[in-house]
Amino acid sequence: MPRYSQLYDAILKGDLKTAVSTTQEALAKGADPENLVAESMVPAMDEVGRRFEANEYFVPELMIAARAMKGALEILRPLLTQKGAKPTGRIVIGTVKGDLHDIGKNLVASMLEGGGFEVIDLGINVSPQQFVEAVKRTNAEMVGLSALLTTTMPSMRTIVQAFKDAGLRDRVKIMIGGAPITQEYANEIGADAFGENARTAVTLARQLMGVC
Amino acid sequence: MNDPVRLQLVPLGASFQVERGTPLQEALFAYGVEFPCGGRGRCKGCRVKLLAGGIDPSPEEEKLLGAGETAQGWRLACRARAESDLTLEIAQWEATILADETVFEFEPGEGLGLAVDLGTTTLVAQLLDLKTGCVLGMRTALNPQARHGADVMSRVQFAAIENRQPVLEELIRKEIGGLAKKILESAKVEGAAVRDIVIVGNTVMHHLFCGVDIEPLSRYPFEPERDGMMEFSASRLGWNLPGDPSVRFLPCLGGFVGSDILAGILATRLDACDSLSMLIDLGTNGEIVLGNRDGLLCASAAAGPAFEGARISRGMRAATGAIASVSSAGRGLEMHVLGNAAPRGICGSGLVDAAAAGLDLGLILPSGRLANGAREWMLRPPVSLTQTDIRELQLAKGAIAAGIKLLLKERGASAEEVERVYLAGAFGNYINRTSARRIGLLDFPEEKIRPAGNTALLGAKLALFQLNRGPGDYRGILEMTRHVPLASSEEFQETFIESMGF
Repeated sequence: MPRYSQLYDAILKGDLKTAVSTTQEALAKGADPENLVAESMVPAMDEVGRRFEANEYFVPELMIAARAMKGALEILRPLLTQKGAKPTGRIVIGTVKGDLHDIGKNLVASMLEGGGFEVIDLGINVSPQQFVEAVKRTNAEMVGLSALLTTTMPSMRTIVQAFKDAGLRDRVKIMIGGAPITQEYANEIGADAFGENARTAVTLARQLMGVC
Repeated sequence: MNDPVRLQLVPLGASFQVERGTPLQEALFAYGVEFPCGGRGRCKGCRVKLLAGGIDPSPEEEKLLGAGETAQGWRLACRARAESDLTLEIAQWEATILADETVFEFEPGEGLGLAVDLGTTTLVAQLLDLKTGCVLGMRTALNPQARHGADVMSRVQFAAIENRQPVLEELIRKEIGGLAKKILESAKVEGAAVRDIVIVGNTVMHHLFCGVDIEPLSRYPFEPERDGMMEFSASRLGWNLPGDPSVRFLPCLGGFVGSDILAGILATRLDACDSLSMLIDLGTNGEIVLGNRDGLLCASAAAGPAFEGARISRGMRAATGAIASVSSAGRGLEMHVLGNAAPRGICGSGLVDAAAAGLDLGLILPSGRLANGAREWMLRPPVSLTQTDIRELQLAKGAIAAGIKLLLKERGASAEEVERVYLAGAFGNYINRTSARRIGLLDFPEEKIRPAGNTALLGAKLALFQLNRGPGDYRGILEMTRHVPLASSEEFQETFIESMGF
């Protein structure tokens, strides 16, 4: 049972207002922001991911849950930074060059944020160079690539190559996903992991970071 | 042919000769009639009704159909032979490739013309006497490119990423050329010159037929570079037709919205109306037009293949054995199965109906979830609707509904101001309007929604009469229509998600 069950429930229900107000109340009562994240937010988003994977939740429910989570996180983030709290990991994410689908990518980004990661979202139609530069700039340990079309997935191979060319391939883990992507494709292009849905993306990211 | 007999097929309107004694299965298969049990006389799926001519019923038919039905003229095509001239109604063609029999106004011209609706899945061609406006013949076929991918994006991938565009080009040019030849042969107009051929189709079909590099359609921003009218001589396409007609592929409207929609505007006269109207084509790529004489907006929204029965666990196209309509009656369900056969799947119209009935009965929640955490809902064995099927439908209807909302917003109009909504295509003919509203696909009062049939073909026919007399209406339409790219709009993504619920 999560310690701050009101926040947990509010995120699960996608109730932004309650998520924000309970977070403020908990802080006023002296709650530790890191505990709020670890004991309410992360388990809530884990449960949201489980329900999504089991087809109980669909895109709209996941989106509003993410919105509620972000509302709480916005309050907590400055406090976490102040305390010098480290994120689980830092990941640069984007939809690859040529592709403009961003719903799936946004879902993954939200789930990762809700899972305690720091997410740098580069948006859509992101070139290999932009990915490489973002990693240099932020020192991210991971990269997440999304493609929704069979015509745009070849960009992923180019991006993996760009990291090799920049001499950064050993420093970053590359995770890929999207409707036409398979584990075979990930193996073929030399990506580190393939996430079938937003929930497995979080599990995989944790594994890649060696945190569970 | 030594001893020919003539067969006429209704409602397709095909008429052709076969050797006396030819098995009907052989003769009808060539016209796309399906034999679900493989022609073994077990399933009744290939039932035909004798409208003229005689076939004695076999004992097997008496047994399977019953004396009442055989007395009404019902026979099984897989058991019968053409022993005399016959006119046959094909039961499974209750839902078939949609032709067009609309009566329209025209200024008489000279010679013959051929109008072709080149769809991603199907092809329809009609031969016209440009003097009388009469349809002299018609043919339908499946798009032979389909073996290299069912939807437009998989064709783009095959052509652009795998560098196989010439393969698709040759397939479609050959098919349409062959179709034209067959129509001319069976229309018995030997020697008469064909003056013009007009082809309409979406932007991908345009590029693949005309030989325009498809690569720009494979990536962001998905804007074609050359999508105007393309003109060829038949001989250049390798077609040996009398009169060596000019072949024109009408211009696209923008993005993935092609001349099939331009033709649709021509057919529905959206461009001439005072009041605000819409034209919607519900396919894998749903196309939407909104406007009136002051200007038109068009857009396409990727709905995925749910309406065509693909990616639905028991999904199928509208053919024999498909559950085509569902209504809740008291506590039970009433269903109509195409071809009066045993159900073997569900087609788009049935899917929309089933979702509406499920919502009414409380078996599907407004979130799309099956009530009580059920994993599936059995409609009629073996056909059930799974939770995943409902999710697919939510994606499809969410995309269309969002497209409609955004075009209205772009125009600064409300849904109430729209006076008429024309539904193009076969699906528009069969979809139940109440159900479409119930699931939030078409949120318009029933009386405003009007199935408009194959508006692409009708528009292509209208264009045939306009080509050689100054600026045709289609040029005006082209100028007054603006394409709105939805996929790259952030607002679309949000509206799409909001529109997924019921």
